[in-house]
Amino acid sequence: MKGAGRKAGRAGAQPVDSADAAAATVTAAAAAAAVGAAAAGPVPAGMSLACHGVTFSYEEGREAVPAVRDVGFELAAGGSLALLGASGAGKSTLLQLVRGLDEPEAGAVDLDGVEPGGEGYPALRREVGLVFQIPELQLFAPSAREDVAFGPRRLRWSEERVAEAVSAALELVGLPEDKFGDRHPYALSGGEQRRLALAGVLAMKPRLLLLDEPFVSLDPVTRRQLAEILGRLKDAGVTIILATHDVDLAWALCDEMLVLCDGVVAASGAWEHGAAATDLLVRNRLREPQLVELWRRLGRDLATAPRTAAEAAEALA
Amino acid sequence: MTAPLLDISGLHYRYPGARSDALADLDLTVDEAEFVAVVGANGSGKSTLARLLGGLERPAAARRAVACGHDLLSGEGRLAARRDVGVLFQNPENQLVAEHVEEDIAFGLENLGWPSADIRRRVDEMLARFDLEDLRRREPHLLSGGQKQRAALAGVLAIPRRAIVLDEPTAMLDPAGRADVLAAVVALRAEGLAVVYITQEMDEVMGADRVVALEGGSEAYSGEVDGLFADGALVRRLNLGLPVVAEVAQEMARRGRPLPTFPLTLDALLASLGERS
Repeated sequence: MKGAGRKAGRAGAQPVDSADAAAATVTAAAAAAAVGAAAAGPVPAGMSLACHGVTFSYEEGREAVPAVRDVGFELAAGGSLALLGASGAGKSTLLQLVRGLDEPEAGAVDLDGVEPGGEGYPALRREVGLVFQIPELQLFAPSAREDVAFGPRRLRWSEERVAEAVSAALELVGLPEDKFGDRHPYALSGGEQRRLALAGVLAMKPRLLLLDEPFVSLDPVTRRQLAEILGRLKDAGVTIILATHDVDLAWALCDEMLVLCDGVVAASGAWEHGAAATDLLVRNRLREPQLVELWRRLGRDLATAPRTAAEAAEALA
Repeated sequence: MTAPLLDISGLHYRYPGARSDALADLDLTVDEAEFVAVVGANGSGKSTLARLLGGLERPAAARRAVACGHDLLSGEGRLAARRDVGVLFQNPENQLVAEHVEEDIAFGLENLGWPSADIRRRVDEMLARFDLEDLRRREPHLLSGGQKQRAALAGVLAIPRRAIVLDEPTAMLDPAGRADVLAAVVALRAEGLAVVYITQEMDEVMGADRVVALEGGSEAYSGEVDGLFADGALVRRLNLGLPVVAEVAQEMARRGRPLPTFPLTLDALLASLGERS
């Protein structure tokens, strides 16, 4: 769906053409079926992802500066992946390639087992949502309701369906429509704006949700609210990739990790934390999650390291 | 006893068209070589405070508003304050203006009319200090978020300052980058600068001499770090959250197994667990 397309569209990068509209119809049917299948209601089931040899460079004057090189990994439907790495390692670039805002120079991004160019691929791509860094900078409509409706309308959904999606998305991010729908986005607090921007992506019911540093500059309580929302989406089966420097929240939310180092995959797979994982994170300008450090310094088995403070307290009490 | 470098009292500020004050009757003093952390929920007035201290906004009213000896209530005073008080903003996008990183760092010095040999020396020093040597010819828009923030910080500090206000300077940085910035801040304090460090990271507050918590544009707390986190009701009201280790202690208390002390650092938690067993 149009997770990031709404933003790209504003910059004039992604015109809506008839193929777009036709694909949106396919999407509509798929999403409707997914909604019907999922007991949770407004959240559709996840999409699987496979990257093969994905390579991309930026131009700098006459030079090409490689951003990601030969990136390969798989993520099952409903999986949750922490995308980690130092500043400048290529995390944002990789998310944009998965979303389809840029095309890789080499390699491919398969969605639900479909290769680019394969049947239904454009429709699948519309079910990938990307929440940009500081997404509230792109809020623009005169009301929260209108801002969230922008993406679903671009998918040419019926007004009835748009209204249902907007209402569900606002509810999901804790900004219920009856209270917040008419509010001007700029009249909301920073944390509310962030959640509103997330609702704009969720309204298009992405089955693969990409998040680029979603916790940056939020106060700790708002950050936790956002983490809880992401936890609910994960539990509902949405596939999630979380690019972040916050290793504590990444550890709490994600079952898998992928570390990028200068655009190359340094490690990927299930995130069962051990000494090697700590080494890897430190070498990449990150650090061990604090709860893992607590377990290590208590001399406990790292395989049982808690994901949350509550789990730690349970084990220690 | 020298006067505080930053000294405001009874300060009010309201954004044009707003219905209430962004800062209301605010008092704050920061001495030479003092590191004051400022915390508070989104919208509590932290960024507005940064702009006022840097002479970038005119206070609506104040009993006293002085930065490095300059009166922030006068236009001339604010201009002079901009020279002595460096401000680093949350979003480095707005702070990088030149075509290449090294030109950006030199920008402020050129405006001050420094001789070019001195500028070159100072720029090299800043590139080395912030690990930007390999990126000196890079265009700022091609930098990652963290690299941009390091470049912006290098630009602000290239001009010798007496005080610096940092508005969530580590928000975009990786943990090693955060540690670098915090080390730089501690070094600036050692050089005698007054440091105002605005942050949402409760772990970063620990190294400060004093912490000030804002609520609705006013001071809700000013004092030692431990005292703030010991007041659970205040911490909740201010949306501050606790360091992870303190959360563990809180969860243990909730399960009827309180620790003998309330830890704010991992070392303190380990000591407290040791004491219990």
